[in-house]
Amino acid sequence: MAMRLISEGAEAQILSAEVLGISAVVKRRIRKEYRARQLDEAIMSSRAKTEARILALATTNGINAPVVLLIDGFDLYMSRIDGVRPGRLSKTQAREAGIILSKLHNLGIAHGDFTPANLLVSGGKLYVIDFGLAEITRSIEEKALDLLLMNRSVGMAAAKSFLSGYSTSSAEHTKVVRKLKEIEMRGRYQSRTLAPQGTLLQNQQDSLRCLRGRKR
Amino acid sequence: MGIESSAHTLGVGIVHSGKVLANEKAMFRITDKGLIPSRVADFHSKNVGKVIRSALKSAGLKMSDIDAIGYTRGPGLGPCLRVGELVARSIHELLGIPLFAVNHAVAHIEITRTLSKVRDPLALYVSGGNSQIIGAIEDGFRHYHVYGETFDIGAGNMIDNFARAAKMKPAWGSTVAKVAEGGKYIQLPYTVKGMDFTFTGLLTHATKLLATNDLKDVAYSLQETAFAMLCEATERALLLTKKKDLLLCGGVAQSRRLQAMLKSMTRAHGIGFHVAPDQYNADNGAMIAIVAEEMLNSDVKQSSSDFGIDQRYRIDSVRLPWL
Repeated sequence: MAMRLISEGAEAQILSAEVLGISAVVKRRIRKEYRARQLDEAIMSSRAKTEARILALATTNGINAPVVLLIDGFDLYMSRIDGVRPGRLSKTQAREAGIILSKLHNLGIAHGDFTPANLLVSGGKLYVIDFGLAEITRSIEEKALDLLLMNRSVGMAAAKSFLSGYSTSSAEHTKVVRKLKEIEMRGRYQSRTLAPQGTLLQNQQDSLRCLRGRKR
Repeated sequence: MGIESSAHTLGVGIVHSGKVLANEKAMFRITDKGLIPSRVADFHSKNVGKVIRSALKSAGLKMSDIDAIGYTRGPGLGPCLRVGELVARSIHELLGIPLFAVNHAVAHIEITRTLSKVRDPLALYVSGGNSQIIGAIEDGFRHYHVYGETFDIGAGNMIDNFARAAKMKPAWGSTVAKVAEGGKYIQLPYTVKGMDFTFTGLLTHATKLLATNDLKDVAYSLQETAFAMLCEATERALLLTKKKDLLLCGGVAQSRRLQAMLKSMTRAHGIGFHVAPDQYNADNGAMIAIVAEEMLNSDVKQSSSDFGIDQRYRIDSVRLPWL
């Protein structure tokens, strides 16, 4: 089975693959030479498992996300979504993203990196990908950070639609939105975090870190 | 001249044009009781005259040759900081030379940055009380920004606490490293969130394991886990900031294992790795002098409200016009 590299990050590579005739992708975690071998394997194995578990929870509950096909060692095989990144989110897409996020939150899942870069449009539907930083959590703050990251990544109008989509179906939306406002009000980093529209994902993550740094 | 007195080290350094002419210190001997701030401050008061004299001697200078004086404003232990401040203020008044209040963390980064001749690095600053990933940014003014940091205690403090629980002799960091040689890995809690990390869970778990496991294995696993967490958070910050150089500084930077891990990580990304000789990683006066000189050369004007001490002096509030 020939695999082709689709993308590469610090933690993993995404390769194209095939499982039982189904077009798939594999997330292959990269070994870190600096880590003791057992520690390295323990980390890769627990992260692959967590990601698979969360994806399974999401997809079996009707979230449009990659379906887990197989876990082979530390490799996570998922169904391939042939789609394109939405680039600039339309109001309808932003609203739909809000609905998807509220469903994830209702399942107790915080995505951890909820930005347009991790959305795909396929067959007129919106899919969410990359659950590498996702976690099962009761934390309102983690959920509010999901909202914050998306808000920072899109324009004002899209952010509004996104929030309204989120609020229609989130069980805890009042609490989460209140937390979001609180985070936005936190201290001196605020002005810096208002990244101009369309700037890189990196900047947005950076902003998020700034805010997280204010937790103490 | 720079005077450092934030913790157990009383250091006096003299620099000229970024070159270290003297770096003398006296260290309060740590017993199993740890640091009692008032006792350490007494130690500093008793020794400061002697250390200043030996710094001047090793630089071959007289007091009248000094053209500016810097001291550590913070972060650090109040009574200890006060000694350095008072001495520096007195010298400033007596000789009529400029006085500079220096941030301890900025100083750790600046000495390593100057010695390794890099312009805009990312820094991993790891000491007893601190563990932070820091880089310079510009937003209205140029300053160091903390990308990630420990949510609870510093890595050095964590290792010290473990060593104390294991009834080891100080200095703990190097003792733990020695004991850890050839240990086997036991799984311990590993907590990295983005570019932040926590150490207390790891410490508690490792301490509990001491009752039922070989000390060598626990020490090894503790060190491996803690340093791997630092490496992962730093790696993420490097990819995020796209900086081309990594500096390692602070007391824990003396760890050969941590140095080797970061070297391996940076090599994989083609990023330069820099660490200063040990005497500049442990607290020292030269690093304070380096920053005081940078402040003098870039015409930093400090007023009386900038002097005094600040036990929680945050690095991100310091202006860096020389960068």
